[in-house]
Amino acid sequence: MSQPGDLLVAENISKRFGLTQALSDVTVRFAPGEVHALMGENGAGKSTLGKVIAGLLKPDAGRVMVDGRELRPGSLQDAFSAGVRIVHQELAQCPNLSVAENLCLHALPRTRLGLVDFRAMADRASALVHQLDAGIDVEAPLGSLAPGRRQICQIAAALDERPGTAGGAGPRVIVLDEPTSSLSVAEADRLLEITRGLAGQGLAVIYVSHRMGEIFAVCDRVTVLRDGRFVATTPAASLDEPTLVEQMIGRKLETPVRGAHAAAGARTGRAEGEAEAGAIRALAPEHATGQAGPVILEVRGLSSPGRLRDASLAVRKGEVLGVGGLVGSGRSELLDAIFGLDSRASGRVEVEGQRVRSVRGAIAAGMGYVPEDRRRQGLFFDLSIHENLVLPFMTRLASALGWRRLGAERRLVREKVAAFQIKAASAGLSPGTLSGGNQQKVLIARWMGPQTRVLLLDEPTRGIDVGTKAEVYRLVRDAAERGAAILLVSSEMPELLALSDRIIVMCEGRISGELSGEAMTQANILRLATATSAPAIAG
Amino acid sequence: MPDAAIKPPASLARRLFRAPESGLVLVILAMMLALTVFGGTKEKRVRESVSGEWTKVTVNRFLDFENLVLVAKDASFIAIMAVGMTAVIVIGGIDLSVGSIYALAALLGAMALRALQGHWLGVPAGGEVTSAGGAPLWAALPVGLGVCCMVGAACGALNGSLVVGLRVHPFIITLGTMAALRGVVFVVTGGLSISGLPESLSAGFFKAGIAGVYPVPLLVMLVVACAGHLVLTRLVLGRQAFGIGGNETAAQYAGIRVGMVKVIVHTLCGLLAGLSACVYLGYYAAFEPNAGNGYELSVIAATVIGGASLSGGRGSALGAVLGALLIQLITNAMIILDIDSSYTNIVMGAAIVVAVVMDQTKARLASRRG
Repeated sequence: MSQPGDLLVAENISKRFGLTQALSDVTVRFAPGEVHALMGENGAGKSTLGKVIAGLLKPDAGRVMVDGRELRPGSLQDAFSAGVRIVHQELAQCPNLSVAENLCLHALPRTRLGLVDFRAMADRASALVHQLDAGIDVEAPLGSLAPGRRQICQIAAALDERPGTAGGAGPRVIVLDEPTSSLSVAEADRLLEITRGLAGQGLAVIYVSHRMGEIFAVCDRVTVLRDGRFVATTPAASLDEPTLVEQMIGRKLETPVRGAHAAAGARTGRAEGEAEAGAIRALAPEHATGQAGPVILEVRGLSSPGRLRDASLAVRKGEVLGVGGLVGSGRSELLDAIFGLDSRASGRVEVEGQRVRSVRGAIAAGMGYVPEDRRRQGLFFDLSIHENLVLPFMTRLASALGWRRLGAERRLVREKVAAFQIKAASAGLSPGTLSGGNQQKVLIARWMGPQTRVLLLDEPTRGIDVGTKAEVYRLVRDAAERGAAILLVSSEMPELLALSDRIIVMCEGRISGELSGEAMTQANILRLATATSAPAIAG
Repeated sequence: MPDAAIKPPASLARRLFRAPESGLVLVILAMMLALTVFGGTKEKRVRESVSGEWTKVTVNRFLDFENLVLVAKDASFIAIMAVGMTAVIVIGGIDLSVGSIYALAALLGAMALRALQGHWLGVPAGGEVTSAGGAPLWAALPVGLGVCCMVGAACGALNGSLVVGLRVHPFIITLGTMAALRGVVFVVTGGLSISGLPESLSAGFFKAGIAGVYPVPLLVMLVVACAGHLVLTRLVLGRQAFGIGGNETAAQYAGIRVGMVKVIVHTLCGLLAGLSACVYLGYYAAFEPNAGNGYELSVIAATVIGGASLSGGRGSALGAVLGALLIQLITNAMIILDIDSSYTNIVMGAAIVVAVVMDQTKARLASRRG
């Protein structure tokens, strides 16, 4: 039943993928002019619901109604003409084409001769884009834009009133699916502003995310899903973070056990989202500060043209050195160069006094690297979980001529699957069959072992659910306690503050400062991260 | 209550059925059955082993031992190369030059063998060399195998080095070497064929008759198939190849020497083209300058029918051999069913597309079942 005031109602939606019941009997109502968050852990069904509403997926049961009219299930076209638009999690655009071409791709304007009318195209595109961000050059290739601006272009595309569509209404409902997942802090802030602006124009904005800080900053109401079921819809104003976390994971978090600077981290993490800090406080075990073991990893004068400038650092045994900074400040580039992946890098990297010159050298010296993008840089989806775990060490395990020792491999895999609690039906399956959190655990398990001296972690908890995050935190601390030197890159402030013993901050490819003890605060990190050097030398 | 998540281990029959090659085996068996039923019979003269008399017997045109071995022999040249091609396609590459490598290896092998034969018979340079007598197998086989395989491997290594060193797509590089190597063959031979190869290598080995059939190419094919399967599944190199083809970036992050593996894989592909050339020289006891013309397409077709994905990361040596057999069965079917051979290419083209579409549909269904 549609009630007055509802713009869009998703009623009794069920959807099943193979063995997974992604949604069961979920009903949510969306009002005009509100930003309505869909929250939940990974696999809770929030993205699926967003896609069903936008007509990208056909539900097994249930219906989606706009103004009391039922949409044709699974019809993107019907949803579109009813004014329901989606901005997708993965940036699905053509980076080689210009912004204007991307925006007009569905109906390129033509001149009388049938050629593409570039002037009309640019005019239309700028009309769309500049209401959101006036600084975007619509004639530049989309791929040359920063991720935040690309995302804005996608929102602009969703706002388009497609000409020539019979009965085509303007946009009325817009689904934003994890819109900030690949954005830097500043970009995300801009996006949140835009989101509020859209709601101010009377649109219903459906905001799918699991970033708590954003939810409280931007949303009017919050609907929480868990394991494909509806949990609650609550006005954001009457909701606090612990309640929200409890709704999401279905249990209360244990009483916080906090170490000296986990507390400091949490104090400053308030602005970012206290619930996440709380979760970390609760779940990251207490760790001793000021350990003074021998230096394991030493980096001196590491530079790479256009990426890194004279980076030097040292990580001691059992120490977690956090690396802060905005996206694009050179954090991943620093890890790449340390691991020997940057062929143009100059400078010295030493593990226990031994110089490392290549990836193979790094691995042989006991270095492991969990890169930022597990799908692109980490996992092999054509290989089994087993092979994903052992591939870098297959040669070491193998006999002469590279003949695999399956027995030794299986033993190692069994140990790792057990130690890291990887939930897989069989190690012979592709990692594609695993949840995001378990995929990440496969990648961490690959590099974490008794021989691990140095562990480079780049956003190790990106895109994984709260429960798995806690496990990852425990694994990181465990590895440090066993004597590994850990370099941790994270964009999640509370996580960075709570896990690190010291923090270095990067800005424009160089290390702009180091923080320890009481100086480790979010404000200080942000100050260093934006400390642009006076004569800004780009690339 | 027992844990429902723990499944009993799949039975052997089930595992065999689940193997990716099972669909292809079923298609081949179905086709063989159809040819047996619809192919009709023919008369054949058979010599009684006891009395030595010739008698006429009626045999099935398809399901006749001689015909089957012939099909397998014709398939074996393609199949041997398809195993190497599988490895190249698994790393996400392609080798269009195998036909030309095959021709060049056969040419240089033939020249070496002819020189060896001439030396053994004491014929002066430029003289008439006959195949009878001359070099024994222990001299001819190492020369033939050695020259053919070395030439093949060298050409493959050249392809690999150019692909890795110049960072150009293998399609372009091997398109170039395909034309260039073929050109070398024509320049060297002047379009003439080469005969006068040692009899010991042909009748004495590669075309050794056993019970009226010539099974050696078939045996070489089986050995190569098994060796290829082991390399791809049980050697670190093979798994690294699959890793590179599936996700090259991740392979770099995992410390795999991507360039090295690519060069080795291309070298192996060339080596197998050389081996195939040697079998060809042995079987036909002569070299024709247009040997291996157009083979690259048959080889790629066999590989793809065998389940290899042109985007890399997927492929099987056994599948490639089955693919080559299927292609040869189609050719054979045209003969058995008395269809004008002009239609062969049309049927073959359709079969390739159908096979790949079926394979993809099967994969999609399997992934949907979860």
